[in-house]
Amino acid sequence: MDILIVEDARDQRMILTVVLKKQGHRVFEASDGYEAIRVLESHPTIRIVISDWMMPNMNGIELCEAIRKSHIGYYVYFILLTGKSDREAVVEGINRGADDFINKPVDFAELNARLNAGIRIIELKTALENKIETIEKDLECAAETQARILSEPAKIQQVDFNWYFKPSRYLGGDMFGYQALDGETLSFYQLDVAGHGIPSALFSFSLNNILREDGSGSVIKESFNEPPFYRIRKPDEVLVSLNEQFQAKPEAMLYFTMAYGVINSSTGSVIISQAGHPPPLWLKSNARCVETISSGGVPIGMMPGMSYENTTIQLQPGDRLFLYSDGVTECENQAGEMFGEQRLESLLGSTFDSSIEAMISRVEQEIVSWTGADVFEDDITYLVLEWQP
Amino acid sequence: MPFESKSEAGYTIVSIDETRLDASISELFRVYLFDQIDNGSNNLVVDLSLVRFMDSSGLGALVAALKKMGGEGKLKLAGAQPAVLDLFNLTSMDKLFTIIPSVAEAIEEK
Repeated sequence: MDILIVEDARDQRMILTVVLKKQGHRVFEASDGYEAIRVLESHPTIRIVISDWMMPNMNGIELCEAIRKSHIGYYVYFILLTGKSDREAVVEGINRGADDFINKPVDFAELNARLNAGIRIIELKTALENKIETIEKDLECAAETQARILSEPAKIQQVDFNWYFKPSRYLGGDMFGYQALDGETLSFYQLDVAGHGIPSALFSFSLNNILREDGSGSVIKESFNEPPFYRIRKPDEVLVSLNEQFQAKPEAMLYFTMAYGVINSSTGSVIISQAGHPPPLWLKSNARCVETISSGGVPIGMMPGMSYENTTIQLQPGDRLFLYSDGVTECENQAGEMFGEQRLESLLGSTFDSSIEAMISRVEQEIVSWTGADVFEDDITYLVLEWQP
Repeated sequence: MPFESKSEAGYTIVSIDETRLDASISELFRVYLFDQIDNGSNNLVVDLSLVRFMDSSGLGALVAALKKMGGEGKLKLAGAQPAVLDLFNLTSMDKLFTIIPSVAEAIEEK
């Protein structure tokens, strides 16, 4: 173990050094707090500091506080040497960041025992850090997997799709997708599993699979043995069927909000249904206004037997739909104020002359400058589609 | 503990002494509600009047309690502020809960 001894009395420092070296430790020396900090900075392997209390320039307690306040990325175990044996001094030292005490004159058997206690703690911390590192690597792998299953921006039939997706930590509970169901019908959705992290992400992965046309289930398409062999389920039917399939347990409320729609790519007719999701926004290119497609709906998984509503709208060429998760509107600035729907709508209202890509990065920039950070509290996702026949 | 409960007119009234019912306390809140239910309370009124913001985890805790009661007994939500009411409207919580302006009215209403 690499140990730093901080002691202004040269003879005492030397005795300690000799004793600790004999026990196999690598020993560094400093004669006051300032020198100690320089030695620590140039030797990041030092994990234990044994420091005298009373020293000129910077005393032991001040040194301890300086170490605790510094940005060293590892823990330094701090033992104070003291002639003061009164309780108050011990309490003060521990309150100000010291880990242990040894009274002077030093009893070497005691010193050895206390050092071993410190080494145990440092080893536990190292083991813990290694485990955390392993978990973080796993999470990064999972995040890469998640990024791979997201649909690529694409033009399918007459409809352009693009999106922004940023999980709050490594993994998100948000998901979205779009696909052709036949030669003129496309489905699209955006969902938000409550909470974030691993359970929500795993759930969103499996939902992503179920909502694929080639998925094993028939949540979105019903098949028959006779022509035309299939029927595309209406959005409200899809939500009802998901709701019956995925009832959350009271002990672990893994439920989700969702907006699901189908668009006829030749006529521009859209049917959309929602389950407690923020209402999609309709950007009307001729009128240059933003309209909310609101209709409530209980989030999926909360309660069996729920029904959902279909809303039908007729797009005009160049119209866009903007589907988003509540992470967009609920992100807060430094003062704790939320971004909010009003701000989002007026922002989108100023993007009619922008390409979809430009609009997506505009929204991102506004959110980043609102929060003043590029790491968000909640997952942030939005999906944009444009009908351009 | 930011939650308190008292009995009044056959109801157990649970109040939340926090302005945010979010992921940081929702699990505690769920456990607290479950304890009330396990201790035999089957007429619950949750006083939300201090809560200015609720997120999906807060909503989850309320619904979890409702699910646990399994149709036996009642769970009323009282005193929701505008932002919380917006969340209830968005998620059609009126289909699941009785939502009432104040605790006093929740108790009077039979």
